[in-house]
This record gives sequence, structure tokens and C-alpha cells, in this order.
Amino acid sequence: MDRRSFVIAGFGAGMLAAFPGFARAAGGTPKIGLVMKSLANEFFKDMQEGAVAYAKKRGGFELIPVGIQSETDIDGQIAAVENLLTRGVDAIVIAPADSRALLPPVARAVKSGVKVINIDVAFDPESMKKRGVDIAFVGPDNRAGAKMSGEVLAQALGRGGKVVIVEGNPGAENATQRKLGYQDAITAGGLTLIDSRTAHWETEEANSVFTDMLTAHPDIQGVMAANDSMALGIVKAIQARGKTGAIKVVSFDDIPAVKPLLESGALLATVDQFGSQLAADGIDEALKEIGGQNLTGWIKTELKLVKGKGAA
Amino acid sequence: MSAATPDTALPLRFRRSRLLLRDAGIGVALLALVAFFALAAPDFLSGTNMSNILTQITINLILATGMTFAILIGGIDLSVGAVMALCAVVAGTVMKLDALPEVVAVGLGIAASLGVGIAAGALNGFVSAFWGVPSFIVTLGMLNVARGLALEVTNARTIYDFPDSFIAFGTASLFGLPVMFLLALALLALGWVVLTRTVFGRMIYAIGNNEEAVRLSGHRPFDTKVLAFAVTGACVGIAAIVYVTRLSIANPILGVGFELNAIAAVIIGGTSLSGGRGSLVGTLLGAIIIGVLGNGLILMGVTDFIRQIITGLVIILAVVLDSYRARLSRSLG
Repeated sequence: MDRRSFVIAGFGAGMLAAFPGFARAAGGTPKIGLVMKSLANEFFKDMQEGAVAYAKKRGGFELIPVGIQSETDIDGQIAAVENLLTRGVDAIVIAPADSRALLPPVARAVKSGVKVINIDVAFDPESMKKRGVDIAFVGPDNRAGAKMSGEVLAQALGRGGKVVIVEGNPGAENATQRKLGYQDAITAGGLTLIDSRTAHWETEEANSVFTDMLTAHPDIQGVMAANDSMALGIVKAIQARGKTGAIKVVSFDDIPAVKPLLESGALLATVDQFGSQLAADGIDEALKEIGGQNLTGWIKTELKLVKGKGAA
Repeated sequence: MSAATPDTALPLRFRRSRLLLRDAGIGVALLALVAFFALAAPDFLSGTNMSNILTQITINLILATGMTFAILIGGIDLSVGAVMALCAVVAGTVMKLDALPEVVAVGLGIAASLGVGIAAGALNGFVSAFWGVPSFIVTLGMLNVARGLALEVTNARTIYDFPDSFIAFGTASLFGLPVMFLLALALLALGWVVLTRTVFGRMIYAIGNNEEAVRLSGHRPFDTKVLAFAVTGACVGIAAIVYVTRLSIANPILGVGFELNAIAAVIIGGTSLSGGRGSLVGTLLGAIIIGVLGNGLILMGVTDFIRQIITGLVIILAVVLDSYRARLSRSLG
């Protein structure tokens, strides 16, 4: 490519980026971009597969799914949003890697007429106000879900029961909400919180960290784990200490790997947030907006408490 | 020549005593740490807790044993965490094959884990040695390849529900010590023999010290390099099996960041990051220091964030002290 045609091509791409509506007018069926978090995570993988299956079943629109390398790849996600705008999508459904950092490109999209639906983790309300946008959030109430799970433990232990929380990644919104939900259950059920530590969502780390918590506090009666992967490691630690049944565990996510634990009673309860339907729900709302509706606020999605054999 | 490599110019007795001095320094640091936690956290010295620490350091100890080979030869392996995940999910997939009798499936799964680990390690060594590119960047590439393959093999799902006969090993103990830790210790001892008593081992030190000199003396560093990285990979394959048997799951995102802990254990143990100097005894002490630190701080009730800060500071302190030790031993020479 010589220099002149390079400049022209660059100018053309710039025009498309500056006026997405211009590119959009060319297509017939609406295009919806789906911006996911890390597809290395079972939860988001399920969610994307659910969305692709839904797009095939429902028809009438084109779905462009994009993922990022890791949960915290904020730059990668910003680039993904910008690429979708260049491709002239009509709507974007996004599970933001950060509830503030993603707002600038997303607000720009809204102002250029692209419909945006927020799923999984909500954008920060203050930041939205500052940018002058009000984007609808479709997602589960993690705090309410954790409270349901925690209440099963509270019921099993009775007032005064001694519990610990094993947290997700510090700073992650869903980790924060789940911890708050567990604390709600602790307050409501009159439990005593002895210790609360992170194991970064990870099985092996949860195994080690909980083993050490148990050494420091041999009187622990119950554990609230922020996800199932960590519950797997915690249950192993309880078995190794010969305290199966004596220490009760509740958790969150309902991944297939915990089924045997629910059946044996090693895990008291977990919460299904129907992750595979979440992106599909978001797409539904996006189609409504393309159809002319203006959506705002929190559109809550279903949560289901899954009880194991050991639960009352 | 002798001026460039003063270590080999000294009488053997002298060299030994200086190596001992180096390891003794780390040993003193470990004893100080243990004494501190014994006073600060009442349950720290209990038998159960000691056994817990040994279980907790087992995987890192195995990875660090392999990492010592890569670092001694003047390289590094950043792919161990990701390759470990690949080994684990391949082993897990093989072990779950219903067509095979349980014992055969488990045996094949273990062999597959070792095979994948050795293959990945040898490939790291081959690419790095054949094209003369730094292992840092080759293994960084391998990190992504292995992680991607692990996700592809499992479609990002967790593999679970393994045969009880296999899972039983994970928590078994012998003479009051965890069997998996004894395995790690045996592996470390074997590695020590290889490094100190074989031609292969001497070649690793020689290449790490001065690759050009090895070449000029008529030896080919190529085979030794590939083999050294294959040893690193074999250790990764074994660590993956230990993971699966202890936690009864294999998922493609396990082992993230494990390479950093393994490197930290090797460096805290006094092995030089530029190669040619160090020992597996140091690596053992380094892995124990990291494990004791993590465990002791939780027992003391130190919060997560402060714990992370202290762990980082200890790593920095260890390398600073090591630079003094290196200067001291040079001046003694």
C-alpha cells in the first residue's frame, strides 16, 4: 500500500469510527455486539454459549461475541468495545471487567446512538451520572443470593454458631456483594464471624487458607465460600481434618463439580444464578431498545437456592 | 580461565565449606522465622500444623526442584503453572475414560501427565537452545500455548469425580508425614544426586557459569540444555498429579502464578538468577520459608493485604542478603 492510499484508508476507518450510524445504515438485520469477560472462566464460557445458542434459536439479528484474555484485562475490553463501534453495531451487551474504567468508551457509544445493556456487574451509578448516561443493568442480585445461601447455614447452626467467610478476589464487585450478603445472613441469624480471608476464587489456595484458619480457630462450625471452586478445596480440607459433617459449608455458583458434594451432604447449599441465560436476557433487552423502548435501572434476573442432602 | 571461574579452582574441601556457609545463612533465617511464629502464634508448632505446612509446600517444592535446573543452567521457565494445568487436565481426561479398567486408566493418566510435562519442557529447551533465544520469552510463549490447550481440551470445564483408590494417595501419610511430601523430598534428593554426582549435573553448572567456555572446550551445550528443561517439565508433570490427587479436581485455570512462587523459592534458596551458582538444599529451605511465612501469618491473624506486603518484602530481603553472602564468599576466596 503506498502512502496516499494508506492515508485514504485511514481516513475512511476514522469516518466509520466517528459516525457509527453511517456504517450501520448499510446493513439490514440489526447487529448486536456481546462483550464478555474471560472465557477461561467456566461461568462466562457457559454464558457465551447460551447467548450463541439463543441467537441461533431466535434469529432476526446478528450476534458478534468477543471475549478478553483474563478477568482483569481492562485495556483489552476497552479495545473490544471500540472495535465493535468501528464495525457499526446497533447495540452492545457488556459484562464490564471494571465498573468504572469501561464507562468512557461505553458512554461514547451511547451518545453516538448505539444501545447499551449492562450485564453481570453493574456500572458505577456515580460515574454514570458524571458522564450523563443511565444504562440499564440486567443481572442477579449477588448480595441477595449470598444471603439466601448464608441463611441455610445460619439455620443449620443456630444462633451463636461460629463461622468464617472465604472471599473472592478483593476489589471484584461480585466478591464484594457476596461478602456483604453473607454478612447480612450472619447478622440476621445471630452467627459469630471469626475470620474472613480471600482465596482468589481458587481451589488450591482455598484448601491451604482454610486449613490454616482451622488451625487458628479449631472451633469453626461453618464456612461461607464466595464460589464453588473454593468450596471444593474447603471440603477437602475438612475431610483431611476428619471433620466431615461437623463443619458445614455453603457456597455460590452451582457448577457441575459440586453435585456429588451436595448429594453427600458435604456441601449444604449453593446458588444458581442461571449464568448461561444472563447474556441471552441482556440481548432480549437490547432488542427492546433497538425497537424504540428506553430502559433504565436494574432489571433483576432469577436466582435459585440449591439445597444439598444435609440442608433442612 | 581459573580467574574467571574461581569456584572450580579451589580445593574441593574449601568449596564445600563455602556452599555450607551459604545454605547455613538461609537455615538461620528459617530458624529465626520459626522461632518468631512459635512465640507469636500458639498453634504454630503443633504436629498437625507442621504436617499442614508440609502438605501446603509440596507442589511448590516439586515445581521449584525443576525450576532449579532451568535457573542453574542460566535460563528460567515461566510456563510451569500453565503446563501444570495442561498436564492435570490431560491426566484427568485419560483417568475418566470409561472404556479402561480403573487401574489402567489411572496409570495411563499419570504417564500422560509426565509425558506432556517432559514434552513441553523439552520443546522449551529445544527452541531456546537451537535458535539461541532467551528461555524467558520462549517459556512466556509456552505459558500461553499450554493455557490455551488446557482450555481447549476441557472447553473451560472442571473435571471431577476421580477413582477413590487414586484420591486416597493425596491425603495418605507415612510415619506421620504426608506421602506426597515424602515423594517431593525423594525427588529433590534424586535431583541433588544428579546435580552433584553426574556429568550432566556438572555440565549444567558449567553452562550456567560460562557457556562460551564450555563450547570452547569442545562440548556441545545443546543436549544438556534440552535435557535440563525436560527435567523441569517432568517435575511439572509430577506436580500436576499431586494436585489432582490432593484436591480431586482438574481444571484448566489451576496453577496461575505458580511459576512465581517456584522462582521465589529457588532465589530465596540462594541460587543465582544468572545461573551457575546454587543448590537444591537451598531450594528446599526457600520453599519451606515461603510456606512457613504464608501459614504463620494466617495463624497470627494478619490480614490478607498485609500478608501480601510482608511476603513481598521477605523476597526482596532474601535477595539483598544473598548479594552480601556472595560478596562475603568471594572475599573469603
